[in-house]
Amino acid sequence: MNQLVVETKNLNFSYSKDKKDIEDLELKVPKGSIYGFLGPNGSGKSTTIRLILGLLKKNSGTVVLFGELFNGQSRLKVLNKVGALIENPSLYEHLNAIDNLKISANYRQNISSSRILEVLEIVNLTNARNKRIKEYSLGMKQRLGLAIALLSNPELIILDEPTNGLDPKGIIEMRTLIKDLNKRFGTTIFISSHLLSEIEKTCTHVGIIRNGKMLYQDTVASLKESKGTNIKVEIEVDNPIEALSALKDLKMEHISLLDGFIQIEVKNKNEITEVIDILRAESINIYQVSIKNNLEELFLSLTEN
Amino acid sequence: MSAILYYTASLKNELIKLKRTFAFWLTIISAVLFPILFIVAYIFERKTLVPLAGINPWEKFMVTQIANSTPFFIPMFIVLITSLIMQIEHKSLGIKHLFALPVPKWSIYFGKLSIVILAIIITYVYYYIAILLSGVLLGFVYPDLGFLNFPPEHWRYLKMLMTSFVASFGIIGIQFWLSFRFKNFVIPLGFGMFLAIIGIIVSQAPQLSIYFPYSFSVLSVSLGDKMPLIFGVSSVTIFSIMCFLITSAFGYYNIKTLNIK
Repeated sequence: MNQLVVETKNLNFSYSKDKKDIEDLELKVPKGSIYGFLGPNGSGKSTTIRLILGLLKKNSGTVVLFGELFNGQSRLKVLNKVGALIENPSLYEHLNAIDNLKISANYRQNISSSRILEVLEIVNLTNARNKRIKEYSLGMKQRLGLAIALLSNPELIILDEPTNGLDPKGIIEMRTLIKDLNKRFGTTIFISSHLLSEIEKTCTHVGIIRNGKMLYQDTVASLKESKGTNIKVEIEVDNPIEALSALKDLKMEHISLLDGFIQIEVKNKNEITEVIDILRAESINIYQVSIKNNLEELFLSLTEN
Repeated sequence: MSAILYYTASLKNELIKLKRTFAFWLTIISAVLFPILFIVAYIFERKTLVPLAGINPWEKFMVTQIANSTPFFIPMFIVLITSLIMQIEHKSLGIKHLFALPVPKWSIYFGKLSIVILAIIITYVYYYIAILLSGVLLGFVYPDLGFLNFPPEHWRYLKMLMTSFVASFGIIGIQFWLSFRFKNFVIPLGFGMFLAIIGIIVSQAPQLSIYFPYSFSVLSVSLGDKMPLIFGVSSVTIFSIMCFLITSAFGYYNIKTLNIK
């Protein structure tokens, strides 16, 4: 079995007496993974991160980081191997990027000034290094927050909603950066997000949380398989009604019409060609054929029921 | 890593954070405020303020200024500067980041507290320099005021300022804890200002207010020779230092065990 970098057992926490905010949470983050912590807003993702980092006092349960029980004695040793970006980055807006990084470097000690320039280069902020943070865009702030988390070359990076407020270009850059760090340095990365597409594109492992409870935890590949092997396809044609009756002859299940698009489930990709052939034989024009993401439905069914 | 390294790293960082902040400028503004007012007053009232022959003008200039400004002004200043310095951290959502770093929480709490105390000491130093310079300036412009003919009795005035500083120590402990604990600026500021005003009012009844830290600054001047002594030391000094030690220890314990949301 893979070595675990983060492991929680029976983790319980409540902000108030009448509601459990985290309930018997068992988190298992394998070494070298990119772990996506997925859940709707308010499901307890940030609370869990704060519990892992010791910012909140757990009611019961244990947090083990790098095989070591997290407590008052091990706190400094364990946190030394962690870089974290918790929700909005903590930045001194009246200072520039260099000063902000210098502050974290001073606290951590043994961090050279060349490393400060290095992380600025990694997050692509070298040109803006002397600008005050109040002049930064949200995306730049998020990237500087990531640079601060990277500063000590940590073995584990915890990122709480790192793509929040980023534009599409920023999201792609962040995604590439995360994958690259994981690949080049073997850094374990723990990302929380409420966006399934983000997790699906970036992560190797996934944990789905709702109302403080873990609903599903495995590799992303297993999650995709767990929904069954059928592929959902959406087809746009010039005459949907006619197309639908043509396809009725096929012995395929789940054929329907949704918003003028034909929805059909096939067993494998070859069947998509068959469907196209039938439609073309009836002289129906096809404008687009796309495979639908069934993970989204799975996520909704997991988190909404 | 040793405790000293953690503490010096924390101090160094607090100094970086003060760069270009209003808290930094407040130390200078507060220090020159009263000396400027006194220059203006001496210019307008110059005729009545020319000293008799052989009288050292510094005595009146210094004592009136220190005794009339510091007792009331210093508590207000402490309330304001403490809140401002802590707001730098709260505004940047810094506490959650600091407490997730591999540094002991005490180094952050006491590093910051040290910087607050340092800012107050620096203000006293600036203030003293500003009074001296204002006296010399008046002496140059109006030689008849006699400031250039006599040296000031530095030790006597510095002792007055030190007494005032030690008497204010107690409220530093309280205000710092409140400012660290509450993100909302209004809570420590409102609470502190309210108690500072109450402190001035109740200082009229010294037998009770001798136990009320917000009155200590006024009492340290107003009681003069009537100050009750404990083991030969002014009771206000003893109570003020005790208040500082107790509230700092309690404040740190509270912050250390606090849930950082």
